[in-house]
Amino acid sequence: MLKIIIPTAMLMPMTWLSKPSMIWINSTTYSFLISLVSLSYLNQLGDNSLNLSLLFFSDSLSAPLLVLTTWLLPLMLMASQSHLSKETLARKKLYITMLIILQLLLIMTFTATELIMFYILFEATLIPTLIIITRWGNQTERLNAGLYFLFYTLVGSLPLLVALLYIQNTTGTLNFLIIQYWAKPISATWSNIFLWLACMMAFMVKMPLYGLHLWLPKAHVEAPIAGSMVLAAVLLKLGGYGMMRITILLNPTTNQMAYPFMMLSLWGMIMTSSICLRQTDLKSLIAYSSVSHMALVIVAVLIQTPWSYMGATALMIAHGLTSSVLFCLANSNYERIHSRTMILARGLQTILPLMAAWWLLASLANLALPPTINLIAELFVVVASFSWSNMTITLMGTNIIITALYTLYMLITTQRGKYTHHIKNINPSFTRENALMTLHLLPLFLLSLNPKIVLGPIY
Amino acid sequence: MLRRTLLLGLCRGPLGRGLGTHRGGSILGKVEGRGGYRGSWMAPSSSSVTFRTQDPAHDVKTVGRLGGGDRDGKMSEIKKKIQSILPGGDWNPLYDTSHLPPESSDVVIVGGGVLGLSVAYWLKKLEKPRGAIRVLVVERDHTYSRASTVLSVGGIRQQFSVPENVQLSLFSIDFLRNINEYLAVADDPPLDIQFNPSGYLLLASEKGAAIMENNVKVQRQEGAKVCLMSPEQLRNKFPWINTEGVALASYGMEHEGWFDPWCLLQGLRRKVQSMGVLFCHGEVTRFMSSSNLMKTASGEEVNLKRIHEVHVKIDQSLEYQPVECAIVINAAGAWSGQVAELAGIGKGPPGTLQGTKLPVELRKRYVYLWHCPQGPGLETPFVIDPSGTYFRREGLGHNYLGGCSPTEEEEPDPGNLEVDHDFFQDRVWPPLAQRVPAFETLKVRSAWAGYYDYNTFDQNGVVGPHPLVINMYFATGFSGHGLQQAPAVGRAVAEMVLEGHFQTINLSSFLFSRFYSGEKVQEHNII
Repeated sequence: MLKIIIPTAMLMPMTWLSKPSMIWINSTTYSFLISLVSLSYLNQLGDNSLNLSLLFFSDSLSAPLLVLTTWLLPLMLMASQSHLSKETLARKKLYITMLIILQLLLIMTFTATELIMFYILFEATLIPTLIIITRWGNQTERLNAGLYFLFYTLVGSLPLLVALLYIQNTTGTLNFLIIQYWAKPISATWSNIFLWLACMMAFMVKMPLYGLHLWLPKAHVEAPIAGSMVLAAVLLKLGGYGMMRITILLNPTTNQMAYPFMMLSLWGMIMTSSICLRQTDLKSLIAYSSVSHMALVIVAVLIQTPWSYMGATALMIAHGLTSSVLFCLANSNYERIHSRTMILARGLQTILPLMAAWWLLASLANLALPPTINLIAELFVVVASFSWSNMTITLMGTNIIITALYTLYMLITTQRGKYTHHIKNINPSFTRENALMTLHLLPLFLLSLNPKIVLGPIY
Repeated sequence: MLRRTLLLGLCRGPLGRGLGTHRGGSILGKVEGRGGYRGSWMAPSSSSVTFRTQDPAHDVKTVGRLGGGDRDGKMSEIKKKIQSILPGGDWNPLYDTSHLPPESSDVVIVGGGVLGLSVAYWLKKLEKPRGAIRVLVVERDHTYSRASTVLSVGGIRQQFSVPENVQLSLFSIDFLRNINEYLAVADDPPLDIQFNPSGYLLLASEKGAAIMENNVKVQRQEGAKVCLMSPEQLRNKFPWINTEGVALASYGMEHEGWFDPWCLLQGLRRKVQSMGVLFCHGEVTRFMSSSNLMKTASGEEVNLKRIHEVHVKIDQSLEYQPVECAIVINAAGAWSGQVAELAGIGKGPPGTLQGTKLPVELRKRYVYLWHCPQGPGLETPFVIDPSGTYFRREGLGHNYLGGCSPTEEEEPDPGNLEVDHDFFQDRVWPPLAQRVPAFETLKVRSAWAGYYDYNTFDQNGVVGPHPLVINMYFATGFSGHGLQQAPAVGRAVAEMVLEGHFQTINLSSFLFSRFYSGEKVQEHNII
């Protein structure tokens, strides 16, 4: 693991010591190399985990998330080049440093063995994200957004600390590898119910669960592009990953306690998808669609069947890449027109045809077109929830339809139709932007050839 | 004791007490903090200090210090501060920007007169998903003391020679007649624009009679209700007229008259604010634009510019706010030419499209109010003499408003709005007295001057986008008939912005490109 952590940490001095003309090139190239190194962790030994040291391990659940995290850093750097071009050199380097620190903390979070270490790093990821949102965000509302983001997550996760310390005291260890064998079933007493809530609420807020999702649209809309990318692609998955790890300790209380959250997720899925239909701000639409997809992950994790776990893992990876590419596309729009309102920039297909191709592919992935892993994941979750309760199929089916509706609405409003007069002179697509979209979409579509990498430990 | 500790802990302490209180102006949106200011978490909008000059238009938080003694006042301030920090309030720890416009807005409308507000209204009304577009109206003069809208005589007529003008006025009168359906705001009283449907009476001499007949035909085709009158019919209907020199007259029978422009402006302002448009009291000082060299279909190269930022300078201050925008609408009225120059329109070799300026200038026009007890009665229309002099009845006390457009040679200096009373004696009164003998004895009560946004090219409006600065749309240059066409023009510009083409009234002959191609849309009936 150190072979990833040390190079990532060393990216920071490299950024600060690079020549001004080389900061982007250096950081992008080296972070890309680090991501290629992390690919080796995908070679997992079946059911067991790859135990690298006392502190770090990776198994089939965390390895794809690790690769996603490291893959995303060069992409974030590529996406940020344009909007940072007017800043001073020190600010640029600071921004890149923030991204690198975030990357470092995320890598360690996904591979932590000890749950307290996971918790500390989980909280620590909030700080660079907060700095990115509030310092480099677009509007004055970003301060409000940062506040919401920070406090929702902190308040949700403080009980988690208490719960983890309690479990450490009773079970004697919080090392994940040991605790999966030592976990005793907990009865449904009141204190155990609170323990369950304390453990799960932090991740529910992070996912986010429908009732606790208010921070997400704000944070996404106000964050700069790299902030949005990392938020949507990785930070939300921290919640899913944490939930999947901690439910091992919480059986069989989950069977009863899960009901309210299942209801919230199933209902919230449809609600947020419907909100997407009425959104006028492009980034806000993509943010709400994130909530909708993550609600599926919550449902899957709370059902706790093999198929649903496979679906949840695959959905996390698929959504990470899809959401990130949609944000990049929205950002390429924003950089040209300086407005995020969808109806002001229409008919882009005639002006930027290659970008329209990326829009099409990203939208098709978002609406879970076969044979993408989005479809596999959604299908697994739908089937598993059907087996949990027959009624959920109606809700899931409605959600799939509404997802298709709003994705196509977004595609058609921005790409089709006659272009408006005031977008006639927008810059053609840069190679950097095309490369960015390709590097997002290529893994997504290649994974459909070999999805077993992302199907998690149950496969 | 708790209160005291709270006060000691939360107030600024000795550092803040002794220093001065009122600060005017700030530099570049930043506030000069003193001493312990920057580090503390207090919102700068505390009542102890303000950072802008006294401006009655803002709801400025109270100026002046409270000194040490006002405990209850301080407690409520502290409570207010805590409330503003809790999520949901717009607390900004860096500096207070509540007096500045937002940092970004989809559409920035330069000019908050009737045309600018009309465009804002129709943009919000015609946008498909409600609340999609964020609109900011920037108006330099919040009392509208020099705006053409409120200094206007307020007439509305359909008697134009250009068919599009007739259509515009027809829609506008329909808008004004149904103003309370268009501009209704919940819980607010209905508007009364005091429309006097007395009609317009245009008089023509022998030379102009044929043109007048043609014009009336065009107007009738478009649907205006105009009738032609011979001198005898004139004398029958209006016995106070002296028909010497009049060969033909056209009288608008319906949908013409005059109304209160201030009421329309306030009604639009109120409605537009209720629809979510933001107002900013400031001046546009700069446009930041980016340009791209592109090739047209025929292979020649053009430099297309787009404005991506508007610098709005706050009134009586050095502070400015860069507003990121996607579309700019130039509705600055008489000052549109200057705003266009800021955007770089007209900077190029003369004779090319780049070098074509926006030919809208300030022209000063006088309006005189006089009292004549023997004057014409209540059914007096808005009379326009062949010499260019016009008058209309004002109110019910034998008062009349009128004036005359000076010729090119005698154009007054538009530097100020001072009234030249000799102009009335020399140029306005003689033709008036000749046309209406009762006006030989009159007493001028008052007079004022206002600006025309005079289009020196063909005295008709400029509507639509500029071909080179592709996201600047014009809604200006109407040379004295802008107020009456404002609702329709606003709708046309909003359609152009939202749909890309004119949908209801085709104003493609009013586009900017006619200044380059030289196709004049000359309006003959300009007063």
